[in-house]
Amino acid sequence: MDQIALTLLNGLSWGMTVFLTAAGLSLVFGILHVLNFSHGGFLMIGAYLSYTIGARLQAGSLWQFLLIALACSVAVGLLGALVERFVFRRLKRVSESYSLIATYALLILCQGIVKVIWGIDFLSVPPPSELGGAVTMGDFIAPSFVLFVIACGLVVFAIMDMVLQRTEVGKRVQSVAIDPWMAGLVGINVNAVLSWTVVCGFALAGLAGALLSVNQSLSPSMGSALIIQAFGALIVGGLGNIRGAFVASVLLGLITSFGDRFVPDVPGLFFFVALAAILLIRPQGLMRGLR
Amino acid sequence: MNPNSISTTRRADIPIFAALLLLFLSVPVWADPGLVFLAGVALVQIVFALSFNTIFGLAGMVSFGHAAYFASGAYAAGLMLKGSDPSLLQALAAGGLAGGAMACAIGTVALRRASGNYFAILTLALAELLHIVISKSTMLGREDGLTGIVRPRIDLFGLVTLDLTQGTTLFYLLLVLAALFGLGAWLMWHGSFGRVLAAIRQDPDRAAFLGINVHRVRLVAFSLSGMGAGLAGAMYAPLAQLLTPEVAHWSYSALPILFCLLGGTASYWGPVAGVLVFLGLEHATRNIVGLSEIVIGATLLFVVLAFPGGLAGGISRMARRRKSVVRQVATRNPAAMAASKEVDA
Repeated sequence: MDQIALTLLNGLSWGMTVFLTAAGLSLVFGILHVLNFSHGGFLMIGAYLSYTIGARLQAGSLWQFLLIALACSVAVGLLGALVERFVFRRLKRVSESYSLIATYALLILCQGIVKVIWGIDFLSVPPPSELGGAVTMGDFIAPSFVLFVIACGLVVFAIMDMVLQRTEVGKRVQSVAIDPWMAGLVGINVNAVLSWTVVCGFALAGLAGALLSVNQSLSPSMGSALIIQAFGALIVGGLGNIRGAFVASVLLGLITSFGDRFVPDVPGLFFFVALAAILLIRPQGLMRGLR
Repeated sequence: MNPNSISTTRRADIPIFAALLLLFLSVPVWADPGLVFLAGVALVQIVFALSFNTIFGLAGMVSFGHAAYFASGAYAAGLMLKGSDPSLLQALAAGGLAGGAMACAIGTVALRRASGNYFAILTLALAELLHIVISKSTMLGREDGLTGIVRPRIDLFGLVTLDLTQGTTLFYLLLVLAALFGLGAWLMWHGSFGRVLAAIRQDPDRAAFLGINVHRVRLVAFSLSGMGAGLAGAMYAPLAQLLTPEVAHWSYSALPILFCLLGGTASYWGPVAGVLVFLGLEHATRNIVGLSEIVIGATLLFVVLAFPGGLAGGISRMARRRKSVVRQVATRNPAAMAASKEVDA
């Protein structure tokens, strides 16, 4: 029983890790219709920034950790503004596969920058003191940082969903995502919406990087490992659909976690088994038509 | 630029092919063994990129899992070359067949179900599966890689013995293979099958109305492309003599896409230019950690933003612009026209 609960917890934490990566990605895809490889790179930069700031300030408490995460989010959001201005804005003229490769070039660039600044060795961020222990529920022991990652995923999803579905800003973003031309006709400043959405997407990448530094070790390949799983979740959930991405992340996380219990020699195998199987059964993703 | 045009003319192809052959033939004369090895890698990657471009540039399918076919071919050839008396011919055949069979199997399920981004991610997922299986399989050397791959000796009809343990001999053999492959792929690209593929890229519905079995043609092209990738892998095995799961990783699937887009997909020679530029940059910046990525990333970004159409697209556009400038001048000044004709001659 405890084993099953632990597997469930691991699956949820894996799913939330993927969702935190996929959240900003989904936002940017919804608006630009480009699978943004560089999202993983900027997420990685967010994680490394939080490592450096945390080490400088000798931060130890959870509140400091969260404040640093917000600072990283703002910093990566600013980088996103630059990328939007100098790269994404020019990509409107070129075909889809060239846009894809431009974002891949940015990912390679991010990896190079990380290697130059922080080196190629694995680094790890010491978790805040509050997250070092474990929560006991009867016989069951849950590591605090796992619960923390799950909570972060839930909070980010709740806020994003509320903003997109319930506020005027969110409705503007949705209208631009669905039909930019029509949105322009009814008086929405389409370019401003595009720019700000990209900035928000990048800020989410920075936030996710900083938050995930509690359960990921930092290395120059961190970004590319996470981005592929996030692509999977996005595709399964239906592109550009936050709720779909959330459901798909959790589902894929749980399948992977339970699969790993049965085939412990090959961790992570079931993520791709599930991804391929779902795409073969429903080639357009789970949530098509449910938007 | 009209994306549907195949930009090099047949007349231009022969000098380009000859120049490339001469360039590679001369490498062992002026280069050190390290560079000869790199040139061998370039030949492998050229075969990989050309076979990828048949489905990408010509048939318009975005596969993100070509590393799977390259790795199948490489590991199949690697296993064949581990025995006591290995045969290179068998290893190459096994590699091509393994790549083709893998592509046929994946294509059969993936092409029927998905297209566009979904097809790309589906092929990626299936390739990642293979990557994980290879890196956990003891027979294939797990994460440490497959070692002990022998470079064989070949008896040519009892007349000459080629000793492939010599780096230069192996290089020339790879050159012959790559040239034969390049010729075959060129014939396919410009022959009737290539035209059918181009028609499908431009408009699958109309192609179907013309009586083309779109699904079957796509599957055949995909399998052939996988066979080419498998052959590239089989050429790589004796060259590297060590195969790690890296060759099945998704970033290896991104390589041929980079080559094709860097060089230009609409031209047959675009991917070759992409390979040469990419490997050249990587070689020039190899000594400083991280610099290689920064230079390659920045170059790619620059090419995509400045020449949407790749290097080959950029060159042909510049050539066309020069011609039109000459024509404009000529209408005003007949003397300039005569002068430009002399220059062209």
